[in-house]
Amino acid sequence: MQDQKTEQRGPLRKRLLAALAAGTLALSAQAQFESPSEGVYKDRVDWGVMMDLSGPASGSQGIWTNGFQAYVRSINEKGGVSGRRINVLAEDSRFNPAQDKINYEKLSTQTPVLAISGMGSSSSQVSLAPTIRGGKIPIVGTYTHTKPLSEPTSPLVYGGFCTYPEMAKAGVGYMTEKLKIKSPKVMVVSIESAGGVEYAQFIADAVKKYGGTSSLVTMKITAADVTPQVLEIIKQKPDFITIYGVGNTAILTMKAMHQYGLKIPAFGISYLMSPQIYAAIGPEAGPNYNVISCFTPGGADQSAGNKEMMAAADKYNHSAMKEDVNYVAGWVVGQMAVQALQLAGPQPTRARLVEAMSKGFTVNTNGLSAPIVFTPTDHDGPSRFRMIGYDYAAKKYVSFGEFADYEKYMK
Amino acid sequence: MLIQVLLSGIALGSIYGLVALGFAVVFKATDVFNFAQGMFVAFGAYFAVTTINLLGLPFPLAVAAIIAASAALGVVIHIVLIQPLSGRPMLSVIMLTIALSIVMRAVIEILYGVQSRTLSTPMPTGIFLVGDVRISQLHLVAAGVSWLCMAAFGAFFKFTSIGLLMRATADGHEAALVSGVNVKVMNRLAWAIGAGLAAIGGLFLGQLQIVSPELEHIGLLALPAVVIGGMQSIPGAIIGGLLVGLIEQLSATYISPKSSDILVYVLLLAILMVRPWGLFGQRELGRV
Repeated sequence: MQDQKTEQRGPLRKRLLAALAAGTLALSAQAQFESPSEGVYKDRVDWGVMMDLSGPASGSQGIWTNGFQAYVRSINEKGGVSGRRINVLAEDSRFNPAQDKINYEKLSTQTPVLAISGMGSSSSQVSLAPTIRGGKIPIVGTYTHTKPLSEPTSPLVYGGFCTYPEMAKAGVGYMTEKLKIKSPKVMVVSIESAGGVEYAQFIADAVKKYGGTSSLVTMKITAADVTPQVLEIIKQKPDFITIYGVGNTAILTMKAMHQYGLKIPAFGISYLMSPQIYAAIGPEAGPNYNVISCFTPGGADQSAGNKEMMAAADKYNHSAMKEDVNYVAGWVVGQMAVQALQLAGPQPTRARLVEAMSKGFTVNTNGLSAPIVFTPTDHDGPSRFRMIGYDYAAKKYVSFGEFADYEKYMK
Repeated sequence: MLIQVLLSGIALGSIYGLVALGFAVVFKATDVFNFAQGMFVAFGAYFAVTTINLLGLPFPLAVAAIIAASAALGVVIHIVLIQPLSGRPMLSVIMLTIALSIVMRAVIEILYGVQSRTLSTPMPTGIFLVGDVRISQLHLVAAGVSWLCMAAFGAFFKFTSIGLLMRATADGHEAALVSGVNVKVMNRLAWAIGAGLAAIGGLFLGQLQIVSPELEHIGLLALPAVVIGGMQSIPGAIIGGLLVGLIEQLSATYISPKSSDILVYVLLLAILMVRPWGLFGQRELGRV
């Protein structure tokens, strides 16, 4: 009897030992896995960011970068992803496509990264689109959205900011319904740029659905006065206006309209939501200004994601930025990046990352936005919106409805 | 509509004229084409944020502090950077001022961060209604103060002994030296005045919009203003500023915003080709 038991234990022990050996080998292989030519090391993963950190758009893109770095830092403090911390290599584009080309090459080969986030200049995206689409580095969470990079859908590119067509639909739909207008007359006030012309076209398409009309008035990005533009607004008498540009565009337009006694409601694109803009516009003109946004700014609600982001911002000395939509956007793209890295598994490579993301994934931002759904054919990113205003008395943002309430405008 | 546009053009042009005046003072005194004048405007706006919003100084004291700080900055820059290059080729000095503007921008971003700042002052923000014409109170104050500063400088330059010494120095350094004038002190004073005038422009521009390093680009419109008016001419710089302001607003209204760049710089090119000493400058004659 004892001999039989000994005989049975023998093979079983061998199998157990073999399994243990195989498991140990596998674990040590994972722990040892490196791919330095793709920015993957035993203890860290290098992740690139290309944004304007010192040029004309640095006021917003620098804040975005801080938001991204803050989220990554919070993850690193918890041990990183698969035992590796994420090392952010932020390259300054100075809003210059030529500089972005140099940065892209640097992040591809010299200081290689697993993936890149940001790409804040639409001109850079347009000029680099063929290189990116033909390359191997995934772009996870673009700051702006351009057709050459996003159409047709590429397995390498994933959007990370509110998309203009949906901004236009949600904004026009909400304002038309709120103001109870049958055929809205809308004016776009925009800086002179390719993006502004594109946005004006999206507004025109959205307004057409309601049987309305739209027009466009432009200004220089460095305008010091907008009297000519406001005189045109007075002449056109729109039901509401929408603003595309930089912070100054919104500030000058709203202040000038107030000076001329105009109380025309206005909404800005998502990029134009920051406490500084509202403070500069002032409480006299500010109540007429709202922003259509796919993100919820810091302090606007008590969602888990909002609280987590606000706490981290205070911890990392970013308190002055936490109410800026750009900070939220960077934080959310940080969430996208981390989730993508988790999907790539413990032995991440660029190819594995691309393969994992291209199957589709959903980013739950815990209330900072509606869930961001990427499918194999839709890589646009955040595409659900709501209008946000500012309560000067309470000194905080006010959301008008929930993201789901705006679905009806997207059809 | 035309009156409205002309009024806003005059208001904006007055600020440009003030900054251009500062540029002309520096050029006339030290022969330096100061490409950092735009950053002096931005520094003025940031000094305003510091004294008014961050330190909470009473407004009159804050304004005095802004002017004093800017003037001190101008003096330091002259002593440390400009004076050592005295006698060197003009290209070296121009390159230095370009590098200086880049450094100044970086300093602002390090000290204040990349975020823009809001400037809140007690300056009026309402309007006067005269018939159908709306006049911004802030524009009126900006234009009024600019003209007051220009007039005060004109009086200082013409009627005071220091102003006389500055004029003598500007006309000829060697002759002034021989006459016992402390040329170095006069040059430093010119840089102090140039920076101080730019800072006042920055205070108004920061209030009109938002305080950011991008104010440099608006301040740099003083360059075509001073070339058009005449680089050696104080009244020319002021008139040049007004012209640039008016061209900007009229072209933005009746043609397109971008056309203002074309029209301003086409005028500058035309002046350089036909009358390079500017509308109000004096032709320099060399004797062999």
